[in-house]
Amino acid sequence: MARPGNKIIQAKLVLLGDMGTGKTSLVLRFVKGQFFENQEPTIGAAFFTQILSLAEATVKFDIWDTAGQERYHSLAPMYYRGAAAAVVVFDIASKDTFIRAKKWVEELQRQGNSNLVMALVANKSDLEPSREVDTEEGEEYAQENGMFYIETSAKTAENINDLFYEIAKRLAKACPSKPSTMNLNNEVQRRRKLFCCFG
Amino acid sequence: MFGTQSKRDLALEFQSQIPILRPSIHARRANLTVKFQDLYGFTVEGNVDDVNVLNEVRENVRKQGRVWWALEANKGANWYLEPSISEGIALKSSLKFSTLANAITLKRLIRKGIPPLLRPKVWFSLSGAAKKKSTVPESYYNDLSKAVEGKVTPATRQIDHDLPRTFPGHPWLDTPEGHAALRRVLVGYSFRDSDVGYCQGLNYVAALLLLVMKTEEDAFWMLAVLLENVLVNDCYTNNLSGCHVEQRVFKDLLVKKCPRIATHLEALDFDVSLVATEWFLCLFSKSLPSETTLRVWDVLFYEGAKVLFHVALAIFKMKEDELLLTHHVGDVINILQKTTHHLFDPDDLLTVAFDKIGSMTTNTISKQRKKQEPAVMAELDQRLRRLNSLKLDDK
Repeated sequence: MARPGNKIIQAKLVLLGDMGTGKTSLVLRFVKGQFFENQEPTIGAAFFTQILSLAEATVKFDIWDTAGQERYHSLAPMYYRGAAAAVVVFDIASKDTFIRAKKWVEELQRQGNSNLVMALVANKSDLEPSREVDTEEGEEYAQENGMFYIETSAKTAENINDLFYEIAKRLAKACPSKPSTMNLNNEVQRRRKLFCCFG
Repeated sequence: MFGTQSKRDLALEFQSQIPILRPSIHARRANLTVKFQDLYGFTVEGNVDDVNVLNEVRENVRKQGRVWWALEANKGANWYLEPSISEGIALKSSLKFSTLANAITLKRLIRKGIPPLLRPKVWFSLSGAAKKKSTVPESYYNDLSKAVEGKVTPATRQIDHDLPRTFPGHPWLDTPEGHAALRRVLVGYSFRDSDVGYCQGLNYVAALLLLVMKTEEDAFWMLAVLLENVLVNDCYTNNLSGCHVEQRVFKDLLVKKCPRIATHLEALDFDVSLVATEWFLCLFSKSLPSETTLRVWDVLFYEGAKVLFHVALAIFKMKEDELLLTHHVGDVINILQKTTHHLFDPDDLLTVAFDKIGSMTTNTISKQRKKQEPAVMAELDQRLRRLNSLKLDDK
């Protein structure tokens, strides 16, 4: 939990990506340490919370895991509105899901705030033999678009914690300590909706 | 039928033979979380109290069955299937006193629950599925299934992807037979209405229909009448516009029926659609325990889509005091999720839904939908244009 004098960051995080890329599995692995081979498809969205404690800050994540099917995209703005971080997921064994991921990135760049911390996640790294998207290709695209790139496997748990720790670190960096004390006046509360820090 | 029936019957029979779970004193003392199978074979997690509630529900279901049988003995077999009663005409303009009385009895009876044994017959008739089926040749479903066999479309690929992910672990649904039956229903429907094709969420709805209806073909017709007649148009088509309309209507109703909650959630910047979208698209099958969901569907098929509003409002209303104490979006969601997952007693929910929410006529709701449509269309159109402008920039 929060260390004394440590700042607390409340951050909304949204997961976007094509259906079956493993968004829910990523979150479940991170939040509960669980993995199910046949994870039920998410309808609308599912909500999770998790707290990460870093040396520089304690990050409280409000995680919105969204439905992947294309027609559900019309609901997405409701979920990414006010997000501090976005995780765009694709499946390394499906080129189509990478193309869809790029579309999400484009939409977020237009819609999200300019401080949005974005991660491009190549999930299902355990499916190496059927890989369709090369690491270089993903890395290059991420770099061009100011995101960080990471290859994960919700199944084996590879890099799952690293992904969320990296996001937490970036959020902490983007949210420097303020000398002001915890003063929950209206101004701060309004800002809270985006993401806030108070130290 | 289709060689899938026997196994399912066995599974259902097997369930009915499972002895009533009696929580041991040890379990009670430790207040352990227990896993148990509910009336339709779903594994649920709950505490000892939940097990007790579920046992009471089983008993109530039996009692309600006896009420139906007694009425049948009194009024004649299938009295509730007489068209003037089943189509609700009598409630609007009574032709005969006895018909009106029967219609009122039926409405009350259905709100108290249709016995699982009668559900296939009563749903099929009261929902209009029987009528829909009667307008096409007898062999329609078989012909359709045969004609689409082996065809591959984006919809069939998505369906195949979701089959093992639909209620995984269920003793019948999660078997090769269960998958095959669900596949035929969903694929068949995706060809019947290519505007809908396949929409995620329908997998859960169709799966539950399969469990209730005796045959795969009847499940198909129930799905058809649901999407084509019972629910608002375009709930599941390409941009879910119908669903967007329902969400807006729901928000207005919450302001009207539960003003204190609506004001509080507004202050928290909590949009009720964040949770209610799943409720409306899965018709509660993903959030409520199975018998509770089916009790909602009992009323849904007789009284129409306004029932979904009653139930959604009731979930909020039941937890009004707790919700008013929340300070954070996460707390609101946790309360709602915990509530829906533990609603093992359908009467707890339906009493609030119909006695405490106040009446809403289908007519008023239709008017509100009409009012919201232009705003939804404008919003979706704007979004589409924005996305298209992204594409143009690429060139």
